Amino acid sequence: MDFDFTREQVMLRDVTREVLARESPTIAVRRWMEDDRGYDPELWHRLAETGLLGIAVDEAHGGQGLGMVELALVLDEMGRGAYPGPYFASSVLAAGLLMDCGDATPQGLYLTGLADGSLVGTVAISDDGLSWGPSGVTLSAQADGDEFVLAGAKRFVPWAHVADVILVAARTRRDEDPTHGITVFAVERGAPGVTVVPHRSIDRTSRSADVSFDGARLGRESIVRDLDMGWPLVELTLARAAIGASADMLGAARRCLQMSVEYAKIRQQFGQPIGAFQAIKHMCADMLLEVENSHAATYYAAWALAAGAPDARLAASVAKSYVNEGARKVCGSAVQLHGGIGFTWDYDLHLYFKRAKGLEPLYGNTEFHREQIVRAALDAAAIPVLA
Amino acid sequence: MDLTYSPDDRAFRSRTRAWFERHRPRPLETLEDRRAWHRTLYEGGYVGMGWPREFGGQDARPLEQAIVAEEIARANVPGTINGLGIGIVGPTLIAHGTENQKRRYLRKILAAEELWCQLYSEPDAGSDLASLKTTARREGDGYVVNGQKVWTSQAAIANFGVLLARTDASVAKHAGISYFVLDMHAPGVEVRPLTQITGSADFSEVFFTDVRVPAENLIGDEGQGWTLAQTTLGFERGGNLLARVTRHRSVLQQLIVAAGHLRPDGTPALEQSLVRQKLGQMFAELEVLRYAGLRALSRLEKGQRPGPESSVDKLYYSEMDKRHHELIQEILGPYGQLTEGLASELTLDTTTSLGVPADWTYSYLYSRAGTIYAGSSEIQKNIIGERVLGLPREPRADRVAPTTARSNGSATGKGA
Repeated sequence: MDFDFTREQVMLRDVTREVLARESPTIAVRRWMEDDRGYDPELWHRLAETGLLGIAVDEAHGGQGLGMVELALVLDEMGRGAYPGPYFASSVLAAGLLMDCGDATPQGLYLTGLADGSLVGTVAISDDGLSWGPSGVTLSAQADGDEFVLAGAKRFVPWAHVADVILVAARTRRDEDPTHGITVFAVERGAPGVTVVPHRSIDRTSRSADVSFDGARLGRESIVRDLDMGWPLVELTLARAAIGASADMLGAARRCLQMSVEYAKIRQQFGQPIGAFQAIKHMCADMLLEVENSHAATYYAAWALAAGAPDARLAASVAKSYVNEGARKVCGSAVQLHGGIGFTWDYDLHLYFKRAKGLEPLYGNTEFHREQIVRAALDAAAIPVLA
Repeated sequence: MDLTYSPDDRAFRSRTRAWFERHRPRPLETLEDRRAWHRTLYEGGYVGMGWPREFGGQDARPLEQAIVAEEIARANVPGTINGLGIGIVGPTLIAHGTENQKRRYLRKILAAEELWCQLYSEPDAGSDLASLKTTARREGDGYVVNGQKVWTSQAAIANFGVLLARTDASVAKHAGISYFVLDMHAPGVEVRPLTQITGSADFSEVFFTDVRVPAENLIGDEGQGWTLAQTTLGFERGGNLLARVTRHRSVLQQLIVAAGHLRPDGTPALEQSLVRQKLGQMFAELEVLRYAGLRALSRLEKGQRPGPESSVDKLYYSEMDKRHHELIQEILGPYGQLTEGLASELTLDTTTSLGVPADWTYSYLYSRAGTIYAGSSEIQKNIIGERVLGLPREPRADRVAPTTARSNGSATGKGA
């Protein structure tokens, strides 16, 4: 029974923190917020050299062969630093899905590139319905001879505008059971009939785009793993995404708490630091509670996924639903505690406030995950930890 | 990170679970019934496990204590009747008592031959416990105690109490307090039970009129009482959070059964998304408490003493309990308020952390106690703000001491 990180994990966290502090201070973050591409390719290569891009990629493909706890540690730091770049999309979602799939062809084509930073990948899951369940995968992929014709759109695809390869969940067959008939395709940049339209949203540090398909034709070699049997891959990716997003939001909340406590110690009103007032002190105590609980939820879930624990999916839903609200409360309290300066563009607080908010509705909003949790609770016998 | 239980721990859990399947208490109606059940637990090796072996304990690891606490909760049976004696008094005596005191009291605490209460809070000293006014005046070879305590749990059945009383009014308020053993049946001790909002009388007022306390009943030195009370010396803290989770999960599972039978609009409440959202929220928050409990346990297993950060856990579980019972009442509607006449498929059968049988109404009302006892939520937030986050102390009107001595403690909690 050990909830602490190993020495290697602590080193990984420290290295990430150090690289981001040096190469991605908020002045740089703000510069990339104005950039159309949205991230620093030089820093991307630096992250590759440090081994961060291939954390979850096996050693055969140039990675480190580590797991979800290590990914969460890096994302925690990236949230804390509001790092702008496709790490979550590429190293967590795309590399994770390819590692899971056990299919040598797409692994051989892309994994080495994702680990060494020469390729950026992403995963396209949600459609118009944004439902995050299997029935939400509606983008049609119609068989036509040896090819499939894709028609429809994927929404809120992270960093699709810079992706070299997009792993797309599409419906190849209609079935009474919505988990059947889903296929994952690897779609490369510039494929005919594929249009990527970047969004502009409040959080300029994590980008997304709509990806629409108008008669795009894909050969069988683009199928990742098995025709019609792609849902388990997508589901696992969603769990990883929920945990990863929790870690990122947690990092943003940590930073907001830290800034708030520092500010409450130095800001004087009525002749004393505002942190001496219970109204402020208690707000900070509530913020710490949310950060500590979010930490416990995120890393429990990360460990459960990495260890293949029977409650791994439940834990992912617990983490995402809890951190969604916890991080929002912490970041919101930070703005309140700072007063006018917290509402000022030039002050950095809003970077983290927006960072956490941006991830809240994605990869399952709070309501979606609470529903998953109820289903698990009703089926408690199937989950030893709840029995 | 590794959150699995070792094969040894799993085997220990199986043995414990099997023991509780073989040993069930009869309905605990009288004090003697409860003592008898305590003795059964004691003989089974499930009382005072964390105490050192030389004093009748087993030097059990926090994880083993946690497993036993969880299994007691899972079996839905009461734990010890002498929780305060086992959890607080015994460990305090082991750390600070004289050989005579240890010999005199410890075994009888373990066997529940003598029951204990904690004489801390007073009408004018609640969160600000150090301002207590009960005095212990030195006289001959002993002390004479005068004053009043309040919210004293188990006072009506206790043989002894640990008493905080002022022995020196001329020094700073924290420095003039001493820690005594008080015989609850000594002349001049009067216990008046107080009825709680639940309708039961688990706590009392206690009045002292010229109560004579022998000098040998002083624990530690004169003036050391505050420090002794502040040092949370429990050997038994390993399993509290996880046992709470187990007990609370059983409540939520019984809520699911009830929500399957309630049909507010012709369809089972359990199928309504608003109800499901509330259930999902509660199960999620409870799981988070379990993860936090594992984290706390992992610290204890490494020999780290619980510090001010344990205030975060106390704040969370007590506020969560209150929030959940409000949500439960929303789901059950007026059925949740029935103290009699509730259809059997809608009922709740549980026990509180004190081992008191509880239904929905009792649990709802009792949830209000958690954010008050053992340091109110507001006090916990002060501790977190000042001692964990390092925020400046609030200005206080009592910082100027009667003498040159400076007070150094923050306000603390009381045991209700």
